[in-house]
Amino acid sequence: MPEIVLKHITKRFGKFVAVDDLNMVIDDRAFVTLLGPSGCGKTTTLRMIAGLETPTEGEITINGKVVYSSEEGIDIPSSKRDVGFLFQNYALWPHMTVYKNISFGLENLKWSKTDIDEKVKELLRMLKIEEFAGRYPAELSGGQQQRVAIARTLATGPKVLFMDEPLSNLDAKLRMEMRTELKRLHRETDSTFVYVTHDQLEAMTLSTKVCLMKNGLLQQYDPPLEVYRRPANTFVADFVGSPNINLVPCAGSHTDDGCVDLRCEGGLSLRFKPSSAFDFSDGANFILGLRPEHIEIGRADAMVEGQILSSLPSGMETIVIAGLSGLHLNSVMFGDLDFPVGSAIGIGFGSGMFNLFDATTTENLCQGKLLAASGI
Amino acid sequence: MNAKTRINNLKSYVKKPYNIILLVLLVVLAYLTLLPLVTIFMDTFTVHASEVRMVKGSVKGDLTLYHWKKMFASGVTSQKTFYEPFANTMLVAFLSCLLAIIIGGFFAWVVTRTNIKYKGFISTVFVFPYIMPSWTLAMAWLNFFRNSRIGGAPGIFTVLTGIPTPDWFAYGMFPIIMVQGMHYAPFAYILIGGILRNMDANLEEAAQLLHASRFRIMMKITLPIVRPALLSTFLLVFSSTMSAFAVPAFLGTPVRFNVLTTQMYRTLNGMNPGYGYIMALVMIIIGVSILMLNQWVTGRRKAYTTITGKSSNISLVNLRRMRNPLSVLLIIILLLVAILPLVSFAVESFILAPGDYSLSNFTTEFWIGEGRPDIANSEPGILRNKSIYLGLWNSLRLSVLVSLIAGTVGILAGYSIAKRRGSHLATAVNNLTFFPYLMPSMAFGAIYLSMFAVRRGFIPALYGSFALLVIVGAVKYLPFASRSGINAMLQLSGEIEEAGTILGISWWKRMIRIIIPIQKTTFISGYLLPFISCMRELSLFILLVSPSTRILTTLLFQYNEKGWNQYANAINLLIVVIVVGFNLLVNKVTGASIDKGIGGNA
Repeated sequence: MPEIVLKHITKRFGKFVAVDDLNMVIDDRAFVTLLGPSGCGKTTTLRMIAGLETPTEGEITINGKVVYSSEEGIDIPSSKRDVGFLFQNYALWPHMTVYKNISFGLENLKWSKTDIDEKVKELLRMLKIEEFAGRYPAELSGGQQQRVAIARTLATGPKVLFMDEPLSNLDAKLRMEMRTELKRLHRETDSTFVYVTHDQLEAMTLSTKVCLMKNGLLQQYDPPLEVYRRPANTFVADFVGSPNINLVPCAGSHTDDGCVDLRCEGGLSLRFKPSSAFDFSDGANFILGLRPEHIEIGRADAMVEGQILSSLPSGMETIVIAGLSGLHLNSVMFGDLDFPVGSAIGIGFGSGMFNLFDATTTENLCQGKLLAASGI
Repeated sequence: MNAKTRINNLKSYVKKPYNIILLVLLVVLAYLTLLPLVTIFMDTFTVHASEVRMVKGSVKGDLTLYHWKKMFASGVTSQKTFYEPFANTMLVAFLSCLLAIIIGGFFAWVVTRTNIKYKGFISTVFVFPYIMPSWTLAMAWLNFFRNSRIGGAPGIFTVLTGIPTPDWFAYGMFPIIMVQGMHYAPFAYILIGGILRNMDANLEEAAQLLHASRFRIMMKITLPIVRPALLSTFLLVFSSTMSAFAVPAFLGTPVRFNVLTTQMYRTLNGMNPGYGYIMALVMIIIGVSILMLNQWVTGRRKAYTTITGKSSNISLVNLRRMRNPLSVLLIIILLLVAILPLVSFAVESFILAPGDYSLSNFTTEFWIGEGRPDIANSEPGILRNKSIYLGLWNSLRLSVLVSLIAGTVGILAGYSIAKRRGSHLATAVNNLTFFPYLMPSMAFGAIYLSMFAVRRGFIPALYGSFALLVIVGAVKYLPFASRSGINAMLQLSGEIEEAGTILGISWWKRMIRIIIPIQKTTFISGYLLPFISCMRELSLFILLVSPSTRILTTLLFQYNEKGWNQYANAINLLIVVIVVGFNLLVNKVTGASIDKGIGGNA
C-alpha cells in the first residue's frame, strides 16, 4: 500500500514557482531522495509533505489519509501528521540537555516517566551517545549533535521520517560514517525515509528511489541505478555520476543495417546500434552520452587515437582527460595507473549501453551499443 | 636576552603604528575616564566654596564626611535629598522599562511573526519617538494635558473637552512612566525584533512536529531561548531610563517630583555640589553594575549561539479576521505617538495667547516676530533671535567637532584593537573606550565638572569653555564609533592589509586607499551616530554650559523653565527637524536604518 501520494502539488511564492505540478508516489518503507541543484524546490517539497509549508495547489495523502487538499480545504497541522523531521542545522534546543531534547516529544505524548526513561536510554544506546545525556547541545561536536537530532526525531516512532540535507554540515569522514548509519537505521526502524540532498553521491548510495528535480519540475523518478544507466534527459545524465558524463553533440544519418552513423565534434565518427528502433531524419542533431568508465584509454584494440591532456591518479583509479582534436573526454581508468601528459594514446569505447539524446528537447531517445569508431 | 636584542625588540614594537595608537589611547583615555572618577570621589569628601557656611569651622578645600553623613544618615534630610529621589528613580525606571518592553515586544512580535499589513510603515514610524529627543513626548504631553497648576492656559485636551486634567495625570510619576515607556519602546522593539527575527524558526518547528501545542512551544521553547536576550534588553533599557533627565525635569518639576538626575542637577547647580557628586557616583556604580550583570547574563553556559542562526522560513501567524482592525489600530497608535506630537509643536508655536486655538489667535510672532514688550521680555521670534542662532551655531559646531574626533579616534581604536586582539593592551584600551557607555550622561557631565573645574597640572580650568563640551562629547560618544570601527575591522581579514604591506605600501596609504574605502559605510556611521546623538543631547551638557557656550537643547530647557512655551515648542520643532533630517540622510548614505531587518522591507 502506498504511503505518501502527491497529486498536482504546486507551490508559488509570489510570481516565483518553487514546485510545479508534482506527482509522486512514495512507497511504504522506501528511502526516497529528492535530488537537485539548490533552488530546485526539493526542500519546499519536503516541507510541504511535513506540513511546515502550505502548497498553493494539489493534494497530499499520507497513509491513506488526506492531510492536505486545496480543493477540499483540508490542512492537517504538522503536529498531527505523525512525521519526523531532521533539520539541516539540527535545530537542537540549546537550553535543554541531550536527555531533555530527546524526551520532549514523549512528554508531549503524555508517556509515563519510566517509559520515557527507558525509551530515551534505548535511543542513546542505539545512537552511541549515552555519555552525553547530561550535556547541552553547544558542548557537543557536529557529529554528536547530529546523532542527538536523529534520536530526538526517532523518539516518538514516526512512520515517516523527513531529512533535509542532514549530512551537509559534517566533514567528509563523518559523512561516510553517518551514511552507513542512516542505512542501518532505515532497516532497523522499518519506516519510510524521505531525504533531501544536492549531493548525487549521497542519493545514489542511500536511496531506493531518486526523485530528480530542476526549477520545480520533476525530471526523473526511478531507482538510482536506473537513473544512472538510463537518464531521462541530458540534465539528469549530467547531474548524476562523477566525473561527469561526456555529452558529445553529433549529427546522425541512417545506414542500411538499421544502425545510425554519428558524426561528432572533433572529427569522431561512430556507428551506433539502437536497441529499439526510433524515427529520425538524416542530418538530425543528437547528443551522445559517454560515461567516463566506458572510455578506455591505452587499450590494444583502440578505435581512435587521442592525446592525454591531464591525468589525476588517486591510487584506486585515475581520472584522465583525453583530447580528440578539439573534443575533451573525461575518462576513469581503474588501478594505479598514470599517463604522461601530451602523449598520444589509443581510445576505445567499451561494450556498455550508451544513451542518445535529442539535441533540441534534450530527452532520451534510445539506448544502444557502439559498434565502430574512427577519427580523422 | 641581551640588551641589544631588547632594544631591537622595542624598536620593532614602536615601529608598528597600531602599538603607538594603543599606547596613546591608553594614556589619554585613562586620563579622561579613570582619573575623573578619582577626582569625583575626592570631591564627595571636599568642602566646596558654597558649602563653607554649612560645614562649621571649615575652609574651602578641607576634607569632610559632611556630605556622606547628610546624604545617607541624617533622617529627614537624607530622606528628602537622597532616599526619596532614589526610590522614585528605581520605580520610574523599572515601570517605564516594563512598559517599553511590553509595547516594544508586542510590536516586534506583531511585525515579525504575524501577517499584519503595512509592516514597512509601522517599522519606520515606530522608531520615530526614539530618534527624536527624549523630551519631545514630554513636551507633547504638556501641550495636551497640562492644567492650570503651573499657571497659564490648560492644554489642548482640556480646551477641547472642558475636562480639567488631575495633577497626577498631568505631572509626576504617571506621565513620566508613560512618556519614557513610549520613548524607549522602539529601543526594546529593535532589540526584541532582532531576537525574534534571528531566532531559528526550525527550533519551533521541531517542537511542533513532536506534537507540542502552540502554548507549550511558547512556554518551553520560545521563551526560554529568548530569555537571556530579553533580560539583556531589560537591563539596557533600565540603565537608559534610570539615567534619563529631561523627561523627569519637564514633567516632575511642577509637582516637585524628584529623581536622582533632577536632584543632581539641582544640587550641583546650587549650594551643595558635594551631594550631587555623591549621587553621580551612586548612579555610575549602578550603571556599571547593570551592564556588568548584562555581560554575565549574555555570557553563560546556556547563552545560545543558535540565536544568531538564520531562519529562512518563519511561518507567520494568520490573524484572519483580526488582521484589518489590528492593522488600523496600530497605525492610529503610531500616528498618535509619532506624528501628533510634531503637529502639536507646530500649532503651539503659532499661538499668541496659550489655550486659545481659534484662527484669529494664530501668529508668526514666535518664529519671525521682532519681539513684543508684553511677551517674554521682548524676546524676538526664534528665526531672528541672536541667542538662538548662537545656540544653533554652537550645537552644529559642537556636533561636527565631536563626531570628527569620536569618529576618527573610533576608526584608529578599532583598527588597533582588532590588530592586537587578545593582547592585554588591546583589551585594556577596548574596555576604556567602552567605559563611558556605562556611565549615565548626567553623571558623566558631573565628573567632568569635578575634574575640570580647577586647574590640574598643565591643563587649565576648562569649566565654561567650549573645549570642555567637545571633550566630554567626544569621550562619551567614542563607544559608538569604536564599536563600529572594531566591527568593521573584524569583518576585514588581516590578509587584505598584509597584501598591501608586501607590496611595500606605507601605513598611511594602506589606511586611506585600502582599509577605509572597503569599510566606508561602517566608518561613516561611526561619524554620523555621534553627530546625531550630540545634536539632541541635553543631560550630558547641561551641567557644563556657560552663557556663551549655550547649545540649542540647553536653550530649549531654559525657555521651558521660564515658561516661554511657544519659543520652546518652536525650538523643539527645529531640533526634531534637524535630527530626523540627519537620520534620514544617514539611512540614505549608509543604507542602514535602525529598524532595518525587523520588518522594514516586508
